[in-house]
Amino acid sequence: MTTTAPVPAPAPATPGGKNRPGDAPAPVFSVRNLWKVFGPKAERIPGSEAAGLSAAELRERTGCTAAVRDVSFDVHPGEVFVVMGLSGSGKSTLVRCLTRLIEPTSGSLSIDGEDVLGMDRSRLRELRRRRAAMVFQHFGLLPHRTVVDNIAYGLEIQGVGRAERRRRAAEMLEKVGLAGMGRRRPAQLSGGQQQRVGLARALACDPEVLLFDEPFSALDPIVRRDMQDEVVRLHREEGRTMVFITHDLSEALRLGDRIALMRDGRIVQLGIPEEIVGSPADDYVRDFVRDVPREQVVTARTAMRPARGDEAESSGPAVSPDATVASVIEAVARTGGPARVMDGRRCLGVVDQQRLLAVVAGITPDAAPAAPAAPGTAEAA
Amino acid sequence: MSTATAAPTDDSRTGTTRNAVGAGTARGPARPAAPAPLAPPPAVGRLRRALDPGTARGKLARLALAAVVPVAVAAVLWGSGTWPAALTVDATAPLDRVSDWIVDNRETHWVFLYVLLHWSNTAIDAIDGVYLLLRWLGWAGTGTAAVLLSWRAAGGGRRGLRVAVTTAAVFAACGLLGMWEPTMVTLALMAVSVAAAAVLGVLLGLAAGLSDRVHRALRPVLDTMQVLPAFAYLLPFVLVFGIGSPAALFSTVIYAAPPMARLTAMGLRGADPGVLEASASLGASRLQRLRTARLPLARAEILLGLNQTIMMALSMVVIASVIGAGGLGDEVYQALATVDVGRALAAGIPIVLLAVWLDRTTAAAGERLDDPVRADGFGPLRTWAARAAAPAAVAAAVTAALAARAAGATAWPEGWTVAIARPVNLAKDWIVANLSEGVPVVGGTLVWAGNFTEWLLNPLRDGLQAMPWWSVLLLVAALARLVGTWRTAATATAAMAAVGVLGVWGRSLNTLSQVLAGLAVTLLLGIAVGILAARVRWVERALRPVLDTLQTMPQFVYLIPVVALFNVGRAAAVAAAVVYALPAVVRITTQGLRQVDPAAMEAARSLGATGVQQLRQVQLPLARPALLLAVNQGVVLVLAVVIIGGMVGGGALGYDVVKGLSRGDLGLGLVAGTAIVCLGLVLDRVTQPAGARTKQ
Repeated sequence: MTTTAPVPAPAPATPGGKNRPGDAPAPVFSVRNLWKVFGPKAERIPGSEAAGLSAAELRERTGCTAAVRDVSFDVHPGEVFVVMGLSGSGKSTLVRCLTRLIEPTSGSLSIDGEDVLGMDRSRLRELRRRRAAMVFQHFGLLPHRTVVDNIAYGLEIQGVGRAERRRRAAEMLEKVGLAGMGRRRPAQLSGGQQQRVGLARALACDPEVLLFDEPFSALDPIVRRDMQDEVVRLHREEGRTMVFITHDLSEALRLGDRIALMRDGRIVQLGIPEEIVGSPADDYVRDFVRDVPREQVVTARTAMRPARGDEAESSGPAVSPDATVASVIEAVARTGGPARVMDGRRCLGVVDQQRLLAVVAGITPDAAPAAPAAPGTAEAA
Repeated sequence: MSTATAAPTDDSRTGTTRNAVGAGTARGPARPAAPAPLAPPPAVGRLRRALDPGTARGKLARLALAAVVPVAVAAVLWGSGTWPAALTVDATAPLDRVSDWIVDNRETHWVFLYVLLHWSNTAIDAIDGVYLLLRWLGWAGTGTAAVLLSWRAAGGGRRGLRVAVTTAAVFAACGLLGMWEPTMVTLALMAVSVAAAAVLGVLLGLAAGLSDRVHRALRPVLDTMQVLPAFAYLLPFVLVFGIGSPAALFSTVIYAAPPMARLTAMGLRGADPGVLEASASLGASRLQRLRTARLPLARAEILLGLNQTIMMALSMVVIASVIGAGGLGDEVYQALATVDVGRALAAGIPIVLLAVWLDRTTAAAGERLDDPVRADGFGPLRTWAARAAAPAAVAAAVTAALAARAAGATAWPEGWTVAIARPVNLAKDWIVANLSEGVPVVGGTLVWAGNFTEWLLNPLRDGLQAMPWWSVLLLVAALARLVGTWRTAATATAAMAAVGVLGVWGRSLNTLSQVLAGLAVTLLLGIAVGILAARVRWVERALRPVLDTLQTMPQFVYLIPVVALFNVGRAAAVAAAVVYALPAVVRITTQGLRQVDPAAMEAARSLGATGVQQLRQVQLPLARPALLLAVNQGVVLVLAVVIIGGMVGGGALGYDVVKGLSRGDLGLGLVAGTAIVCLGLVLDRVTQPAGARTKQ
């Protein structure tokens, strides 16, 4: 699968990292104990004894399918929150529950502290029109409209006048790199270009959150890379909160500030990419991330050990704690000596060849105090 | 014929020819395997297998078991001859009373005064309004408007040019044949009825497309309406509105609306769910979603529906001449009544030309929509041109009309007509004199007609009428059960019994014999030609434009040439029915054979099958659903024209309708009309495989 492809060295270690405020901010989305069950008398399943059954057993006993089971998480402002899992794991259902395109069965869900499940129809429409816009796997463009009118579609629904929405659509067209194609129709564009239109349509509404439902899965690998770069660039420029659904691990690691890994409707692990790769929560996750090149995900902060003697003051190369092991290897290989992990002027520790090799080999080095992925990393990162 | 397709035939072949293996497995349900391990006593097992509802034999055995007692009782009670008088209900007298009551109260009762009279007046006003407009425009204005609007509908530019030229030619031909006035009358009635049918159809389609409940309720009704012969629609409206254009208008509207409703619903239901979801995710309200996404996405289907509605409306407007619609149909009707083929043809050709014009224009409009790459970049000039086109066309038409008025030539100039009636009649006389009889070896058309009547129609009719009434019912039940469910069997049997109860058993069987004879000829010819077209490319290419044209022609027109060839009589009616049904059967057969999985064909070829082997063992078995559909369509179409054949001596039910209308004997006509509906139901149900209904 695509997971075996080497993860390219990302330009910034974590694209959205710098946008994130230091102190715990109010979450954009707050999801608690969310369930979505399809089938007869679905509302009875959450909380009953059937809730603990496996998918096959549940189907056999009740005829129901639980697509999302007891899921809780927060999406913080400015972060890229990736939900990843194989097909059928419930991730697409989950993201649709966020704007109630699919009505959740039970649980609670709020956006900026406002209860989404309690919204009436007009309030919900407002949410969909201005606060959260979605980009779809199969684009969902209107075939009978030109590209510009497709981009302006969301604005038209909001009731923006023709001249104003055309103007803004033209702006968005430029932004996603399709300048000059505004008068074409979707069928005349390539898949990648169509998805750029889909992206522009979502951006034109200037939403607080962008929701992506496997937006690049239908695209060729090279186009997919381009589009991922596009998302990284947009995120860096605008710092918009994004919820990104994907089944592609390398995409998740490339884009995600945090990743929630889903299986059979449950979140089996939630953490920064480094945690997912470095300390898988169970065998399923371990299996999933086995082929990931660890040196491109694990950071110096995890790989380092405390400085001994005068190592902290030595003249060896200095690296950032968020630098990936891959980049540290380059620095260490050049000078030969251990590299210092510097947080500003403070030396947090050092990384030597032994430590680096241990990361690449996937083993725990000597019983060092700095175990990979200490519990505090998530907060510090 | 359904029994012939049951399994046992390829048993012997599997061992001998290897090709049969592929054919045998492809044929579908394998026979039940060896006896189950825990076999019950052999007798019980045999019984159970004999009654297995999964097999044809099992179905029939169960039916026989269920029927044995009622049939015996019925035979003892009422005898085994024709339909027993004891089971007949006289519907004519009460219907006549209803009819009389309506005639007496039309002027006084509030339902008529405050509802139906308004409808009727509105209909007359609308038709008159359009007609007066066309008259005012004169031939120059009307022609200009038609050409320009067709050109615009077909997309303008060079693309629409062909359509524009066709339109010009059609209108010129109508004028040249001296039929300008009747053409305008027909056009006025068409314009109003198509508009009304389209609005009604779209409204029903919207309801069915947006609500599951309406869809479930409406679908069987629309399905049934589409299999009923046009003739059956006329009488109820005559009963309410009397003879005249309102009755013609309303029966046309009701007859032509179903395809619009059906296709609109289909388009709305088939809209890409991804696009609808995207629309919802952007916060569109239901109304916004309908307006911006659902309806535009369904445009192609809606246009196709409009095309079908127009064609059906034309067909009906022409037939409605028997209830006083006037126009071209009336010309044909009057001419046929006196067997004046020349006059009938002079009016028939404009009908065909109108059909071709309307079909080509709406089809071109549909193609334009389907094309995703249309008009990349409307330049400002082109957008302006596109927007200005319709007003410009109207302006041009008005200018032309004024110019013609100034020159004093609103009516088609008398000198510009070609009288074809006389030469056509001469040709017809020549045919009658030289081809009808005494042609060496082949005989002659009248000889054929006579032989056909004597050797096929008569024995078939007499045979059917001589059959014990209960055995006819049983036969219907068995056929319907074989192709469908218990419910189909029950519907079909009940409909057949209703025919008897109405007291028109004998005449219905007469109609039925004509339908069966027509169907047999249609299927023989149609499937043979279909096979040929599927195997030989140039045949298909040559046939395609012919079939296209034939399929757009109104049923009524087919009566003209057959009268020329076969004179009036049942043979003529059957011949018209065969010609009318043939194109559909050929087309469905060809398509079915062409769509056979190429892998199966390749496998057969790689095993060394000859052409005939491929056809018999792979293509025909795999194309079975298409062939069954061809039978179903064939039956429906043949029935429609056999009924109209009542006007050219077909007798039976069709004649009852005509007679009822012409003598004001509505009771008789209504009974015949009901019997036609029942017969239509029977024939549709016994030929419609259970799966076909859901697939459409």
